Amino acid sequence: MNAKEKISSSTFAAQYPELGTGPVGTDVYCDPAFYERELAAIFRRTWLCVGRVEQAPKSGDFFQKALPTFGYSVIVARAKDQKLRAFYNVCQHRGNHVELRQSGHCVGFTCPFHGWTYGLDGKLVGVPDASGFFDLDKSKLGLRQLALDVWEGFVFINMDPSPSQTLEEAMGEQGRDLVGYPFDSGTAVFEYEGTINCNWKSMIDSFCETYHVPVLHRHSVKDTLAGPDNPYGRLIDCRIKGPHRTQSVWGNMAYTPNPVQGLAWQNAPGPAVTSGVVDAAVKLPKGLNETRAKHWSLDVTVFFPNWIIVMGSGMYFTHQMWPLAANKVVWQMRGFLRPATNAAQRFGQENSMVELRDAVLEDCNTLERIQTAQDEGLITEMIYHDHEIALRHQYHVVKQWVEGFEKNQKKKGKGAR
Amino acid sequence: MPKSVRGTAPLLPKGFKTLEPLVADWVLPDSRARLEKRLTTPPAVIRAFYDAMLDKAPKALSYLAERQLGELNEAEERLLKLLLSLAEMGPAVEWYGTGEYPDGFDARRFKLIEQMPDNAAQGARP
Repeated sequence: MNAKEKISSSTFAAQYPELGTGPVGTDVYCDPAFYERELAAIFRRTWLCVGRVEQAPKSGDFFQKALPTFGYSVIVARAKDQKLRAFYNVCQHRGNHVELRQSGHCVGFTCPFHGWTYGLDGKLVGVPDASGFFDLDKSKLGLRQLALDVWEGFVFINMDPSPSQTLEEAMGEQGRDLVGYPFDSGTAVFEYEGTINCNWKSMIDSFCETYHVPVLHRHSVKDTLAGPDNPYGRLIDCRIKGPHRTQSVWGNMAYTPNPVQGLAWQNAPGPAVTSGVVDAAVKLPKGLNETRAKHWSLDVTVFFPNWIIVMGSGMYFTHQMWPLAANKVVWQMRGFLRPATNAAQRFGQENSMVELRDAVLEDCNTLERIQTAQDEGLITEMIYHDHEIALRHQYHVVKQWVEGFEKNQKKKGKGAR
Repeated sequence: MPKSVRGTAPLLPKGFKTLEPLVADWVLPDSRARLEKRLTTPPAVIRAFYDAMLDKAPKALSYLAERQLGELNEAEERLLKLLLSLAEMGPAVEWYGTGEYPDGFDARRFKLIEQMPDNAAQGARP
């Protein structure tokens, strides 16, 4: 197989002429005012992933998910009717948390402040010394609910009480093209979290171009995700689907693993994402390695606004960005590995986790330096390579989303007058 | 550290006696402790552990491949934990040649907020 001939020589710019080829402003990465506009236009009204259905499989199960951007957390609970619901973890008496545990099993929630109790369906069921209140209407004081829906086992919430799109509409073509991927087989889970001094979109960018792989990752994945046949780490493909995008990343099939790495790959419950090995037993959905390239290692799939799934045939992991300010983000990386079928495979799992963490650690200094340069106005434009198309696309989508929302708001305002 | 060594109870399964001197320093409670060990151990010491383990690792992995997580005895669990330390130290030697990261972002700024248990059966999650 000649891998070289598979690297596309046609440009992404020609495929997506609407994105242009000129420099792109840095304002959306560092302007605090734009950040506030993003919160209103994007984060308060798009579907955000908060977990998986396996975290609350039975009636009575619940889990919490903190939303660092907003400072509060939501409770996802499965009630007797088997339905999953999401609530703000806020007592309707005076605003304390009604549940302190991160996950568990219960018959309802009791606020540890004054003991108001709520059912798993959110209904207010008990108020101590209720006769001392004035005109208390319990039927109107249930936990405040958020819109909730499920895509391929991932639980999403939306803060907009009447979302402009259903989750299915929001996931769109890219979501449909991934249906059938064995997301539920990744039951051995780990999660890292870090606060990085950079814009949330920069952190997404760092996973969406592989131009930096041969240089920044020269100690680690340079020889697996790039190589003699692809020295500059060019992408196999980039597919833009609405506000979302997927990069198919090249893999060096001729790579010989290091000794410990090789043992880890041999003793793993599924092929490591960088091993270049594809598990033939896994039927890839249409949207994964869509060009069916032979030298494929993994796909990086970004769902607007803040959620990335990185998928190989034998494992996957997600990144999620929760902005705290224009120049600060909480990043979460959750790994989903197949369960070990014997004790030796725990070794492969550990090495996969460590290699992933180390590779991401290599990205973070660059992110904080870029941010400083942007904040100080030392760089005001980004010059993007054709294979940094995903970054250009994100810039356009975010701008369009914010400006489109504001235009609509104005229209509505005029209509109301 | 092993809790106690009663009488002649072996530290490690039969056939792995040469690894016993590593047990005191390299059998660690969990993934967080293993990263901390990597960050606080001189490169030469990591390298010596790596070399000693690598020699026996294929045999140790074959041994554990016949066994199940959650069913290991204490000696077997120690052997697994030595291997898990090798999994953490592998990139230190093979990628960086040091426990530190070149141009290093502080690894402690990444919190492992959920980790895989070292030795628990991994079925579907409860």
